[in-house]
Amino acid sequence: MNLSFKQFRYKFFELLPLLLLFFISLNGSSIINVKFFSINIHYILVYYWILRKPENLGYGFIFLSGIISDVVLGLPLGINALSLLMVAGVAAYVRVVTVRITLVNDWISFIPALLFANFVYFISLYYSNYSLDYLYLLKNSIFTLIFYPVLWGLFTLILNLTKS
Amino acid sequence: METRREDVGIVIRSAFLKRGTQQRFSLFALTILSIVLIFLETLEFKPLNNIRSFVKDIVYRGALIATYPLKSFSSFYQFMENHINLYSNYKELITENKELKNNISKSDFLELENSQLRKLIDEQAVSSSDLVSARVMLDKQSPYLNSFVINIGSNKNIKNGMAVLDGKNFIGRTVDVNFFSSRVLLVSDLNSKIPVLSEPSGNHAILSGHGTSEPTLEYLSENHTIQDGDKVYTSGKGGIFTPGIAVGKVKIDKKKIKVLLFSDLSQITFVNINLGALNK
Repeated sequence: MNLSFKQFRYKFFELLPLLLLFFISLNGSSIINVKFFSINIHYILVYYWILRKPENLGYGFIFLSGIISDVVLGLPLGINALSLLMVAGVAAYVRVVTVRITLVNDWISFIPALLFANFVYFISLYYSNYSLDYLYLLKNSIFTLIFYPVLWGLFTLILNLTKS
Repeated sequence: METRREDVGIVIRSAFLKRGTQQRFSLFALTILSIVLIFLETLEFKPLNNIRSFVKDIVYRGALIATYPLKSFSSFYQFMENHINLYSNYKELITENKELKNNISKSDFLELENSQLRKLIDEQAVSSSDLVSARVMLDKQSPYLNSFVINIGSNKNIKNGMAVLDGKNFIGRTVDVNFFSSRVLLVSDLNSKIPVLSEPSGNHAILSGHGTSEPTLEYLSENHTIQDGDKVYTSGKGGIFTPGIAVGKVKIDKKKIKVLLFSDLSQITFVNINLGALNK
């Protein structure tokens, strides 16, 4: 009985990133707005898990989650999917080239991921004739970067739970 | 140590083209698929539109189920908050009621005069038979798009561009109609531009959203006479919306002509869609 509970707990924490990914996209809450803070937790989630444990978060699921986000938020299909795949791409590249895992390394390499993702976001919305609040996009990127260590800590905790 | 070009190539190939452990698709293939999807969004084919509508309808239903726990929690919170503020709300309502009673006779006269004048110029007015009611399914406000999803679509003759009202007040227009759902673009959205008319000053303008709850009046003539407190109505220019639907009240703030909407966009559960102008 004890063993099966352990197995259940292990399975739950292993599936947690995937559940979070779909919960975020179905709820349309990829961007959390608190007063003047705005954080894109979708990017952080994808970046962290592709960097640290990609087998828990398939690229296909990331794509699907992006499509759901686009539908829920009313954006042209493919925009969120593409920007999330950009984040995943940078994370996959960083995973291949780095040996030591530290918060600072992850944090610094998150900057190009954000830049690529927002560039793709901006270009796709621009060509789809959607007006965009550029200042908001910039503010969101800055706060997402600042907030990264907090979620990094939380996700590391979850990751350790799947190991122990 | 020097990084050779081949090394970078190998790394990129490994990251983008190889399917890693337990990955069914390569990043490259999915990226191409996303780009194709974005491109397809710009095309208007009936079969393609039908597939899009079908996918969106399914996702909306899924999202409706997924948001249920959060929605229940927030409605419970609102319920508690309303109970706590009951006394102050009651006092406010008494004063408001007194004011409204004083204004009733005045507004009755104005309504009569208005309908007579409309008959004289043979203009359409919003008739209740043109309205279809709908329920808000999803109201997830994206920072980039102020909109919500309602539970009727082409099954109830809804078309793109129809005026959406909260009671009798204009709040937005339909922009993305599926079989059983439609998206309503609110007047507060950056992409929203509505032709309006101010009363009593009688100035034509464009009501532009900025992503906040206070849209502004733009493209006004240089010698306009708009004042604080003027009412704003749809002008009906362009023939998309029926003229004379109430939108809000003018508030001039630091030379910016803002419009305080009559409806609170964050508190809308049911809406009316005006089938009028576009169905004729």
